[in-house]
Amino acid sequence: MVSLAQVLIFSAEFGSFVAIAAISFSIVYRVVGMINFAHGEWLTMGAYIGVLTVQALGGNALLALPVVVLLSGVGGYGLARGFYRPLRRSGAGPIMLMLGSIAVGYILRAGFRIVFSSEPKTVVIPTDVYRFDVLGGFFVNTTQLFVIGMAVIVFTVVHLMFKRTNVGIAMRATGSDEDLAEVCGIDTSHIRRNTWLSMSGLAGLAGFLIGVSTNVYPLLGYQYLLLLIAAAILGGIGSAYGAIAGAYVIGLAVTFTTSYLPTAVSTLGTAVAFVLLILVLLVRPSGIADVEAAT
Amino acid sequence: MSYLSDTVDQSEWLQRVLSPVPVSVGLIVFGVALLSAQVGIGYPNFMIAALDLAVLGLTYGLVVLGLNLQVGHTGLINFGPHLYYAIGAYTTAMVASESTIAGVALGLPVPVGVVLGVVLSMVAGLFIGATSLQLRTDYLAIVTLASAEIMVRVINGIQFVFGGQTGILNVPQPIHEAAVNYKSELLVTLLILGGVLLLAYAAVDRLTSSPYGRVLRAIRADEEAAQSLGKAVPRYKLWVFIYGSALMGLAGTIVPLYNGSMAPTFTTIQMTVTVWIGMLVGGAANNRAVIGGIGIIIGLRLVTRYLQQYSPVGGGVFAPLRLVLIGAVLWAVIYYRPQGIWGDPDKLGEVFTRK
Repeated sequence: MVSLAQVLIFSAEFGSFVAIAAISFSIVYRVVGMINFAHGEWLTMGAYIGVLTVQALGGNALLALPVVVLLSGVGGYGLARGFYRPLRRSGAGPIMLMLGSIAVGYILRAGFRIVFSSEPKTVVIPTDVYRFDVLGGFFVNTTQLFVIGMAVIVFTVVHLMFKRTNVGIAMRATGSDEDLAEVCGIDTSHIRRNTWLSMSGLAGLAGFLIGVSTNVYPLLGYQYLLLLIAAAILGGIGSAYGAIAGAYVIGLAVTFTTSYLPTAVSTLGTAVAFVLLILVLLVRPSGIADVEAAT
Repeated sequence: MSYLSDTVDQSEWLQRVLSPVPVSVGLIVFGVALLSAQVGIGYPNFMIAALDLAVLGLTYGLVVLGLNLQVGHTGLINFGPHLYYAIGAYTTAMVASESTIAGVALGLPVPVGVVLGVVLSMVAGLFIGATSLQLRTDYLAIVTLASAEIMVRVINGIQFVFGGQTGILNVPQPIHEAAVNYKSELLVTLLILGGVLLLAYAAVDRLTSSPYGRVLRAIRADEEAAQSLGKAVPRYKLWVFIYGSALMGLAGTIVPLYNGSMAPTFTTIQMTVTVWIGMLVGGAANNRAVIGGIGIIIGLRLVTRYLQQYSPVGGGVFAPLRLVLIGAVLWAVIYYRPQGIWGDPDKLGEVFTRK
């Protein structure tokens, strides 16, 4: 039996991955108006960029971090521009755009397999990062602290960006009413570009953190896709704060079921997360945080 | 459709004979006749792979008819067809199976399994529809997807009922048992399934081209307007959801009866994605187009399967290359024809195409 404190640490780590990924998914949906089913591949891309960068920088994960975020941002934006903008311009509506993102997901997942093979890759960082500390009967390793710390930093930065910077405020305006934002002198195509750049960077960061904690393989991001969508919806899609709340709720649900249920049914962890999602939606059809009300 | 048209002309008699219902009855009767005549049928071996994929295509055809009824005609986004497919398949497998390693095997007659499979998937449609159809479109998409994923995990997780990864074994295969050899089994299966699909098509097409279908399109275009005209919108939506579920469940019942077993690999989200792609590539809201779309996707699979023999790269690279090709074709279809190949952009709402 695992101690409660230990399970909470696992939940916090898992929730942090999902939260960072869900924020980026949710904000892209809000500003650009598109459900990106290839968002998991944005994570995988960040993880592979991480593998290469850490290698190039001689195993320093902290030094690699800004490079990963930057390159993932540029990469994600490039993909959106190359694949999604032509579809949008040719007249595809939301559902067709979503289907287009499924196509892009196919292409990227297969592309990762061709370029990097299906073999899992490990992000090699100096061993002291993996040192285990015993704190009153349970373990916290430095990777977990690193992941949770990074999540807190991301939440602060995202919060400040949306509340204090012009770009963030313009993004919120574009998300609420694109035509009105345009009339108010906001260059919405510029805002869409900034959204893709910053949120792809965040998705890449989430992928990098997952890669550091486990290892990197072509399906890494895809396996988080449904969970991050569930977290975003649970929190009322479009709200960054909601996405954070939703992600930790899902983190708790998944970790608790996998830790405490008998092993015969322990694969039901994610099922419990979805049951929770459905229950919440039935009681509050617009998620935990209602976007219309929250902004 | 010709068999519904009011105009009388000289070819009316011919049109009536060639309309879906007589043709489908003919196909089924011919299939059963071939089976009972015990004739060995021969055709080149290279066709076996194609015909085997065609069986899958015909079952997916049933699913896409149900999905199109919900999404294309009524605008109810359903991302969980694999839920109803799984219910139909597992119910039939567990009811009809004579013995299995882990899991339920009741050993009842096959028709009982099929009927129960369809009924239970309708009950699931009723339950999920009644609780979630009032949600906004994108939430509905996620709830349907989430409920299907719950089912997938339950099937994988609860071994003593569903048999875990191995699944349910020793399901009777009625056509296999009656046929002389594999080749005739395959051909008879195709004839009978083709007849069933055509019957389902006739039923769905009749429903959607009648005044009932007009109400559905009104709901898709503007729910509040339909409501204000005195149409009981929630009841229409719920029934469409149940009809669609029944077709998906029926498609599921075919899987164990053809394969002789049922395992979780048959009911993954991959099946839902394939059917969605087929529907949109063909052109949503058009019953013939969506079946054509499925045909294209299945054809693409077949062509790439044959291409592998001539490819200079190994299987490890060819398999992902094949997925890249499927993704690229899908992307190109959306780019050049966002309404689908045979779709009518004026008929679909803004959800599908931007004006």
